[in-house]
Amino acid sequence: MGFVDYVQAIIDGLLFGTTYSLIGIGFTLVFGVMHKINMSYAAASLAGAYCGLAGPQLLSLPLWSVFPISIVAAGVIGYLIYLACFRFIPLASPLAPLMSTVGMLLLVDEIVVHATAGMPQNYPAIYDGDPIELGAFILRADLLGVFLISLVAMVVLLLLLYRTRLGMATRAVAQQPVAAQLCGMRLQAVNGLTFVMSGLLGGVAGAMIGASVGMLSPLISGTITVKGLIVTVIGGLGSIPGAIVAGLLVGAAENLFQAMRNVTERDIYVMLLLFVFLVLRPNGLFAAGRGRD
Amino acid sequence: MDFYYSLAQIIGFHALIGLSAYVVLQTGQVSLAQAGFFAIGAYVAAMLTVLAGWHLVPAMLAAGVAAAVMACIVGFPALRVRGLMLVIATLAFGEAVRLFFFNFDYQIAKGGVKVGPLGGEGFRQIRWFPEHGWTSFDVMLFVWAVVALVAGALWWMDRSRFGAVLRAVGEDELAAQSVGLNLTAVKVAAMTIGGFIAGLGGAIYAHYTTHIEHSNFNVLLATFAIAYPILGGLRNVFGTIVAVIFVQGFLVEGLRFLGDWRNLLFGALIVLAMNLRPNGLIDAATAQRLARLFGRETRRA
Repeated sequence: MGFVDYVQAIIDGLLFGTTYSLIGIGFTLVFGVMHKINMSYAAASLAGAYCGLAGPQLLSLPLWSVFPISIVAAGVIGYLIYLACFRFIPLASPLAPLMSTVGMLLLVDEIVVHATAGMPQNYPAIYDGDPIELGAFILRADLLGVFLISLVAMVVLLLLLYRTRLGMATRAVAQQPVAAQLCGMRLQAVNGLTFVMSGLLGGVAGAMIGASVGMLSPLISGTITVKGLIVTVIGGLGSIPGAIVAGLLVGAAENLFQAMRNVTERDIYVMLLLFVFLVLRPNGLFAAGRGRD
Repeated sequence: MDFYYSLAQIIGFHALIGLSAYVVLQTGQVSLAQAGFFAIGAYVAAMLTVLAGWHLVPAMLAAGVAAAVMACIVGFPALRVRGLMLVIATLAFGEAVRLFFFNFDYQIAKGGVKVGPLGGEGFRQIRWFPEHGWTSFDVMLFVWAVVALVAGALWWMDRSRFGAVLRAVGEDELAAQSVGLNLTAVKVAAMTIGGFIAGLGGAIYAHYTTHIEHSNFNVLLATFAIAYPILGGLRNVFGTIVAVIFVQGFLVEGLRFLGDWRNLLFGALIVLAMNLRPNGLIDAATAQRLARLFGRETRRA
């Protein structure tokens, strides 16, 4: 393994890291608005991607229909999770929504295993053209597609948050729920819509993970959940730019560790990376301002 | 009959991991690292009895101490963060432990066969119970003696000054700090005690199954660990034990006739239970009502 190989590993990792960024943004968005963690988020995102497969497999739609169906389905699942795990549970008990979303994580995973009989499912690639050569380095075309689509999804989300009335309402509720209610915003509606937004984003992430790995299996959801949460912590809970940077960082670091050691040891070093951040920067890269309430 | 003995043993070590999470939850911290401590206990105890030829009881205590030391070490950086950050940090630690054992090889030849942990294949031939002629019934009594000892100690702890300190930190950190409690010391102490109990549980588990591998100690086990005290309510240790019996005895074994659907039901029931009883099955009000009920009955009798 030479220098070129390590740089190549980092490039591949950065391209795939955008999917981690998307999952991290989803976690962080719900945390920012409700101050709760939706543990079932990554599993639900992958479940959305599974739903997309129903398009070509069951309804014999063209292959590209996988992607839009995945995204819409994940949005719907996001809203259902809001109803089942948050809507009717009092905000005062912090453990209850944590536990209910963990229950939902198990439920979603089991439904997926049940529907697919536990078999890995092939997932179409976005684009299977030739890789682009840049001197000594190679850019995998399919990963580049994943990177660009994820980037577009992030830009759309940021426009939604900072350029629309809905986004303004979301940010208002995140800052001060009581004051937002006094101004006539319906808390439940905004919370529900936040879940739909994060769900749609998760659908993009799930589809991109499926497209870059080439298949979906029930084993992926645990890893993605842990990686997504690590990204959220390293970036700082509630910080969207933090999640984006941390996703790229984790993606690159993970691929570098894999190139230096091997696949089975790779994730140990990612966890150690998290602990380094917890010791040195416990509030994350982009810590949210203190004392907002 | 052996089936019921075996079920009682399973309930026993699940009760231990549940109680280990119970102690940590008393201080208001949610730890998903308990499966990691359970794994450390399992591997340490199994290596001591199989490779070093120790008796089970000192091996168990050593496993408990090893897990407690690890919990203490992890406690300091992890407890710098609070609440949901801690959930994630401990989740990552538990996964790191699991992955460590996934990559951990340490085999020695013993009587012509190689024994010891072997990475992904796990650790086979942990045969202390059969080698010493313990029947299933003996093992069950042993497991429940340990559970009773731990539950009794925690019951006493709940009533002691230390229990009050734990609860004070759990109820309101700011108030606890302003009466002069050292938050970090209290939380790390709770984490250490929890680690010790989980280590004991892991030690018994390893000898019960005779074969352990990294996938036994996954996130699902960590989830079970915190689910028991949360479902049972944090008022006292019996809530946790009732929850373990309910989950393992009824949901896992009792509903076996449902086949695959049982796993679906488990997640759905947690979601439902949290919607209906967000503070646990036995919350403060129920505990008081039960106490009054039993109080009246003892007066009548």
